[in-house]
Amino acid sequence: MILRRAQYELAGRVVGPFLASLDGWKRRKRSPSGTSRTSPFGPPLESVRKLKEIMTAHFFQARYADGAVPVAWVTSGFPVELLRPLGFHTVYPENHAAMCGVQRLVPGLSDAVEAQGYSRDLCSYARADLGSVITGRTPVGRMPRPDLLACCTNICQTVLYWYKALADHFRVPLVIVDTPYVYGKAEPHHVQYVRDQLEELVRVAEKVSGRRAEPEALAEVARKAKEGTDLWAECLATGMSRPAPWTGIDGFFHMAPIVALRGTDVCNSYYRMLRDELRDRAARGIGGLREERYRLLWDNLPIWFAVREVATLLAERGFNFVCTSYTNAWAEAGARIDPRDLIASAADSYTHIILNQDLPNRLGILRRLSRDYQVDGAVLHSDRSCKPYSIGQVDLKDRLASELGIRVLLLEADHSDPRAWSKEQADNRLTAFMEGFA
Amino acid sequence: MSRNAYIARQREAHGRKAVAVLPIHYPKELLTALGVLAVEMWGPPGAPRGDGAGRIQAYVCSVVRNAMAFLGSGGADAVDGVLFPHTCDSIQGLATLAPDFGGWDRESFTFLHPKGPARPSTRTYLDGELRSLARRLEVFTGRTLDDAGLAAAIRLHVEIDEARSAVLDARPFLAVGDPEIYALLRRGEWLWPEDHLAELRAFRERLPAGTRRPGVPVLVSGYVPEPPSLLQILNDAGAWVAADDFAAVGRRVVRGAPSAAEPWEALQERYWAAPPCSTRSADPDARVNHLLGMLDRSGARGVILQVIKFCEPELFDVPLLRRAFAARGVPVLYLEGELETELSGQTVTRIEAFVEMLAAGRAA
Amino acid sequence: MTVLAYGVDVGSTTCKAVAVDASGRRVAHRVEPTDPRIEPQVDRVLRSLREETGADGPVGATGYGRKRVPAGRALTEITCHARGAFAATRRGGVLVDMGGQDTKVIRIGPAGDVIDFAMNDKCAAGTGRFLEIILGRLRVPYEEVAEQVGRATRSVPVSSTCTVFAESEVISLVAGGEPLEGILKGLHQALASRVAALARGTAGGGDLFMSGGVALNAAMVGALRDALGRPVQVLPDPQLVGAIGAALSVLPGAA
Repeated sequence: MILRRAQYELAGRVVGPFLASLDGWKRRKRSPSGTSRTSPFGPPLESVRKLKEIMTAHFFQARYADGAVPVAWVTSGFPVELLRPLGFHTVYPENHAAMCGVQRLVPGLSDAVEAQGYSRDLCSYARADLGSVITGRTPVGRMPRPDLLACCTNICQTVLYWYKALADHFRVPLVIVDTPYVYGKAEPHHVQYVRDQLEELVRVAEKVSGRRAEPEALAEVARKAKEGTDLWAECLATGMSRPAPWTGIDGFFHMAPIVALRGTDVCNSYYRMLRDELRDRAARGIGGLREERYRLLWDNLPIWFAVREVATLLAERGFNFVCTSYTNAWAEAGARIDPRDLIASAADSYTHIILNQDLPNRLGILRRLSRDYQVDGAVLHSDRSCKPYSIGQVDLKDRLASELGIRVLLLEADHSDPRAWSKEQADNRLTAFMEGFA
Repeated sequence: MSRNAYIARQREAHGRKAVAVLPIHYPKELLTALGVLAVEMWGPPGAPRGDGAGRIQAYVCSVVRNAMAFLGSGGADAVDGVLFPHTCDSIQGLATLAPDFGGWDRESFTFLHPKGPARPSTRTYLDGELRSLARRLEVFTGRTLDDAGLAAAIRLHVEIDEARSAVLDARPFLAVGDPEIYALLRRGEWLWPEDHLAELRAFRERLPAGTRRPGVPVLVSGYVPEPPSLLQILNDAGAWVAADDFAAVGRRVVRGAPSAAEPWEALQERYWAAPPCSTRSADPDARVNHLLGMLDRSGARGVILQVIKFCEPELFDVPLLRRAFAARGVPVLYLEGELETELSGQTVTRIEAFVEMLAAGRAA
Repeated sequence: MTVLAYGVDVGSTTCKAVAVDASGRRVAHRVEPTDPRIEPQVDRVLRSLREETGADGPVGATGYGRKRVPAGRALTEITCHARGAFAATRRGGVLVDMGGQDTKVIRIGPAGDVIDFAMNDKCAAGTGRFLEIILGRLRVPYEEVAEQVGRATRSVPVSSTCTVFAESEVISLVAGGEPLEGILKGLHQALASRVAALARGTAGGGDLFMSGGVALNAAMVGALRDALGRPVQVLPDPQLVGAIGAALSVLPGAA
């Protein structure tokens, strides 16, 4: 156990970062020049090297986590701040599934889980994750066994069914934070419910970890989480410059720390670095694109397996995603966190994330982003796998278009299963959309 | 009398407002106590028609797509309000789409029942949510709910559940086809409770107990016993429904009376006592045990699992259920469909092949 | 006069009819494209068979049009295919039947009983129709397919789930200069993987048999064998298995 713990620490502090930087060095050796002359993108961000180091180290360390420290598998909208002071190594199955999506591993993983009787119509994240669990196949080497499963229904109710399947498989405790959907305004007993669940879950988590949640430790994590959220918001805000110093696609990848490492120093120091680089680029007029002609908003999850393709198709004609409702969600989630009362403020904050509030609220966010970032158009990804994000998009498209006088495209796809995607049809639609801007 | 004519009559003769209720679980006792007629909306079946049809993507279940089209085209204009339980992400979305973005401009209510197992926080919350719904209904009706009124409504619904259970349990000896039995039970989805109770009692009195029904007994788990031809085809093929886990029927029959004297506690007891359902996020073991218990008690020799395409809560439970039945050596027929007005030839073939298989099994 | 039994399998693409003798052996048969006016077609076909054999006998019917066959005993294709297969193999196993518009997987017990079944009849992508549509678009005659696939040095993956998507994907592949044989091989693999997924759903090992019109395509048989990792035995008269089963069901003494 002590040896295991030592391995875990070594992996995280030394070996992981070393491997990551070695990998980065090898990459740089292979392509000495920066951007090729034919790429529509601007110079790549320097910070991305550090991002890769951090995330590689995080996943490398994960391999040694089980047996060394308590391990929790957590949903992206879960108030992870409550688990950090208890020493949990946190794993994000959604993050892992996104990686599987990028690497086009989902069909194989889904086949495995479909053979067990799960429908292909279920969320592709869930299929990828359950498929990875039963086959043991993963692009990160090895996922540590959980000691605790923790889900919060603020992003969707699917996580509840998904995590119950995980609990059934791993036979470990599952803590649920059920956040009633906010229609208009959250009622007092709704918020109290969330607060009560947070108190309950801390007791369970304490038992699993064998540690007590000290108020000072909780306050400290809360402070860091709030700071990280604010830093991420500052990074995103640089997109308001003309040209935007980075692309929306960059945003999808750079959000990994705020999701998976929220409440840590590593996360915050990274975003300080990223923010400074972005501000510097903005000041010097260096854009994410060589030539930014049109600015777009992206709604819903990314199409992980076609992120680069879609971005390139648009960039070649000078279209950049300068803001997304998805990356913006992580600037809002922790915004109400108050270190003076983590439980109450977390209950408030996590109840009010974009996906847990009604459509008028969603429209308000899209409207605000469109205005603040001065977009010329929007692409709403009609994600087959994500009902909470996708229901209402037909109306949102019409309202956004008519209220703001911008062109809006509804693009049918899926966030991680390429079998629900027709490249030819998508290219056609995006191209027709872009032609309309002439 | 048609359903809409009945609704109008209830308003004229008794001053009862009507509220359409989306599936699945809701505290009907509260509506009854306040003199509100609940009109459950399980369909309509068929392809969604009207302007509302295109507002929800095709990969969302037909329950929600059809409901949106129906509301948007004025199909529910006979009622004064709509109640949306927190059944799933799709109904959750419908509950903001129709009232906020157009399609339903009268009253709308939500019943955000808790998800997950019963914990102290959940019970406190559910009490709060029940009282909150009651308050909103009080404003809507202009009436006041007192403990005595609530207790009386609870007693009425307990009696109704007893009568419904009696019909379901008597099936092995009723010389009546499943279409007729379900037609009777489903009238409870919109009749004023006292009227429904009267019909249930009249039905039982009319029929003598026959000899044991011939044919293969099956357990059916699904959404709603629709289309009507589903039951007819099943009976014609030589099988009958011996145990029922339909969301519209069996999954909402609460057996036994609550022990709490205090009506709000009794109301909550009834909520927790309902059979396990994936939309209340029951413990999967509890669901499996409940179904296996029904299987054993009914002597069913096969299981039909009917799932509406894209229904996430059910689809996640399906593999567990199939595994549990396979472990028992009980054959399962899995039917996935939309809300159809008629069964497709393919579905009819599957049902008939399944019954042929079960019947041959007995003969061998 | 030998007592014969007749079996008719009225499928959505082809209508098959057989005459069997008392021991269940096929003595005559007809196969023709299904006419939407089922009753006259079945009547004509049965009369033609009766003339050939010179014998009368009861009629068993199966297939989607089974209820329209006059004076016939109607049983589903599942039951009939299981009986027809068992008559040929005399042992249990898993039967994969690939017809024009549907695919069935039937697990048959050691006594010839149906233990489990799964069907894909709602989506063209898992049936012979998938191949038919795309081969038609590529203008590759069905008879030449197996040979072409055999010549492929590698397989060009066709990833689309939906037939319509696959069609456009294949057009792009051809336009992009990918070898036709490789594309054909990829198409067969795509279809085989869907059928394999259906087969895995009906659990259990045992011998694997194949029937249906698509079983006449050696490339499909090979692709299925690769997808399932087990040998696949094509039954004799693969298209007639259902009709034979239907006839067996009305032989005197049949269950």
